[in-house]
Amino acid sequence: MSLVRAERRRFIKRRLTIWMVVIGVLILGAVITGFALTHEKPTAATLAAAEAAAERDYKEQTLMFERYKAECEANAGTDAAMKCQGPEREWFKAEHYMPPQFNFKEMFGETLIVWAAITAMVGFVLGATFVGAEWSSGSMMNLLTWRPRRMNVLGTKLGVALGWMTVVGVVTFGLWGGAQYILGKTSGTTAGMTPGTWQSFGLTGLRGVAMILAFTALGFGLASLGRHTALALGVAIAVVIVGQIGLAIVLQMANVKFAEAYLIPVHMYTWLNKEVTLQDFSGQVTCDQNGCDAPELILRYTSTGYVALGVIAVVLALAFVSMRKRDVA
Amino acid sequence: MTSVLEINGLRKTYRARGGPRRALDGFDMHVDAGQVHGFLGPNGSGKTTTLRTLLGLIRADAGEMRILGQPIPDALPQVVAHVGAIVESPQFFGNFTARDTLSLLCDAGNLPQTRVDWAFELVGLRERAQDKVKTYSLGMKQRLAVASALLKQPKLLILDEPANGLDPGGIREMREMMATLSAGGMTVVLSSHILSEIEIICDNVTIISLGRRVASGPVSEVLAAYSTGQVKVAFEAQTDLTAAAQVFTGAGIAFQQTNGHLVVSGVDKPATISRLLAERQLYVSELTPVGVDLESVFLELTGTAPVPGQHRSVDDSVKVEGAQS
Repeated sequence: MSLVRAERRRFIKRRLTIWMVVIGVLILGAVITGFALTHEKPTAATLAAAEAAAERDYKEQTLMFERYKAECEANAGTDAAMKCQGPEREWFKAEHYMPPQFNFKEMFGETLIVWAAITAMVGFVLGATFVGAEWSSGSMMNLLTWRPRRMNVLGTKLGVALGWMTVVGVVTFGLWGGAQYILGKTSGTTAGMTPGTWQSFGLTGLRGVAMILAFTALGFGLASLGRHTALALGVAIAVVIVGQIGLAIVLQMANVKFAEAYLIPVHMYTWLNKEVTLQDFSGQVTCDQNGCDAPELILRYTSTGYVALGVIAVVLALAFVSMRKRDVA
Repeated sequence: MTSVLEINGLRKTYRARGGPRRALDGFDMHVDAGQVHGFLGPNGSGKTTTLRTLLGLIRADAGEMRILGQPIPDALPQVVAHVGAIVESPQFFGNFTARDTLSLLCDAGNLPQTRVDWAFELVGLRERAQDKVKTYSLGMKQRLAVASALLKQPKLLILDEPANGLDPGGIREMREMMATLSAGGMTVVLSSHILSEIEIICDNVTIISLGRRVASGPVSEVLAAYSTGQVKVAFEAQTDLTAAAQVFTGAGIAFQQTNGHLVVSGVDKPATISRLLAERQLYVSELTPVGVDLESVFLELTGTAPVPGQHRSVDDSVKVEGAQS
C-alpha cells in the first residue's frame, strides 16, 4: 500500500498532470461557452420578432414572384401551372427566424464524443508521461533500488494512472452533463428526459470513461516499452498523420469500399454511439425522389471494443515483459 | 568478521552493436561489516555494472552474490530495506522539490516522514529543502542523492562517486560523514576516482580492471604489496653525496643518484643505511622511505597510466572473441 500511496501522490504532484487537466477542462469550457453564446430560450419578444421577420420575408418573396410570374409562364408554356407557383405563407415559419434553443436531450448525446475525445487525449499524454518521464529522468531506476519487484512497480503505476483518470473521467463527465443541463434550463429545454434517456446517457458515459482509460493504458504501455514519453507521443503523431490522414487519402484514391471503417475516429464514434452505418458511394448508387441508396456497412461497438482491447492487451503485455526482462542501464 | 557483501565469479556480457562485450569476467568482492570499502576501477572496467547487478537493475549471466547473507537477486525484496544506494550521477525529477522527492521515497519505502528532515540535516540541505531539484547545483544534487540513500538508515550504504561535483569543503564533509556512519556500524562501499580520498577514508579496497578483481584487502596491505622498498638519502654537502655513493658501492648496495640525492634499493631498514654512513662520519639531512600511493598502485594494476603520445580508450570492456560483429 505504501507504493500505491507514493504513486498516487506522485501522479497529482506532477506539473503536467495539473496543466493537462486544466487545459482539457478549459477546452470543454470553451465549447460550453460557445453553446451558451449561440443558443437562446425563446421569449415573447423573440417570438414576435421572428413572426415579423417571417411575414416580411414572405411578402418580399411574393412580390419578387409577381414580378417574374409573366416571364416564367411564357417560358414554361403548358407546364406553367406546375412550374410557376408562388411562395406559400406556411413555408415561412417563425421558428426558422429564431435563435436556436439548446435541446439538452438532443445535444448531450451528440456532444459526448467531444468530452470523451478530449479527455482521452489528456489520458494518453498523462499515461505516457507518468511512466516515460520517470524513465528518462532516472527516477524509475532510483525507485527500483527501493522497490525491486519490477512487475509490482509497473502494475502499481498503471493502476494509479487508471485510477486517477477514472476520477478525471467521471468528474469531467459530471461537469459536462451538468453544464449542458443548466444550459438546457437557461437557454433551451430539458424536455423529453425519461428514466430510460438518463440511463442511456449514463451507459454512454461509462463507455466514454472506458475509452479514456483505454487511451491512458495505451499511452502508458507505449512509453513504458520505449522507456521514454517520446515513443508514445511519436507513435500517436505517426498514427494520426500516417495512419489516419495518409491512410484516408490512400484509401480514397484506391476507391476502397467503406474506407472510413479503417479510421480510428470513426471507431471512437461507434464505441460511444453503439453503432454507425457507413455507406459506400464508390460503387452502384441508385437515387430516386426520396434520396439515394448505397451499399451499407454497420459498425458495432462490440467489434470495435474487441479490437481495441486486443491492441491494448498486446501493448501492455509487451511493456510488462520488457520491464521484467530488460536491464535497467 | 561478518560478511555484509559477497560476490563470487560474477559474469556479465552485454550485447552491443559492435558485438558482445564482456563487462564482468568472474569478478569477486568481499566486504565485511563496519568497513568503509573503496571500490576502484577505470572507466568501463565494470564498477557500475557490478553495483547495478547488486541492486537488481541488471541480470548477471553467472556468479553468486550475497548481501547480509541473503542470495541476490532472489532475496533482494527482503534485503533492500537495509541497502541504501546511489548509482552513477544523481537522478531525480527536476520539477519536484527536494522535500517532495525524499517524502515520496519515504512513502515508497514505508518509512516515517520524520526521516526526511533528519536526512536533510545530515547532508546540510535543510535550508534548500523546499527548492525544486532543477535549481540545485551538481554538488547539491549529489548531497540529495546521499540523503536519499541514507533515508533507510541502511546497514549497507553503496555510493557511486558521492564526491562528484562537491567543492573541497563538501568533500571533507562527505569524508567526515563516512567516518561517522562507519563508526555507527554502517558498512559503506564507496566507488570513487578521487584516490587520495579513498586512501584517507577507506579501510579496505577492491580494484577492478577488465571485469576482474586485480587487488583487494586492507589499503595498507595493498600499498605494501606494491611498495618499492626504496629509501631516499640526502646530504647537506655535495661532497658527502659522492662519498656516500662510494660507501654504498663498497657495501654492495644498489642505488641511483638523482637531483642531489640518492635513492637506495634493497635495504630492509633505513637504520642500516644510517649506521653504515655514520661509521664513515657521513651524516644525512634526509632519510625517508620512498612511499607508494594508491594512485600509482591503481595506475600500475589497471594499466591506465598515461603514456606520452598515446590516447587511451575510455571503454575497457572486453569484446568477446569469436563473436560476429
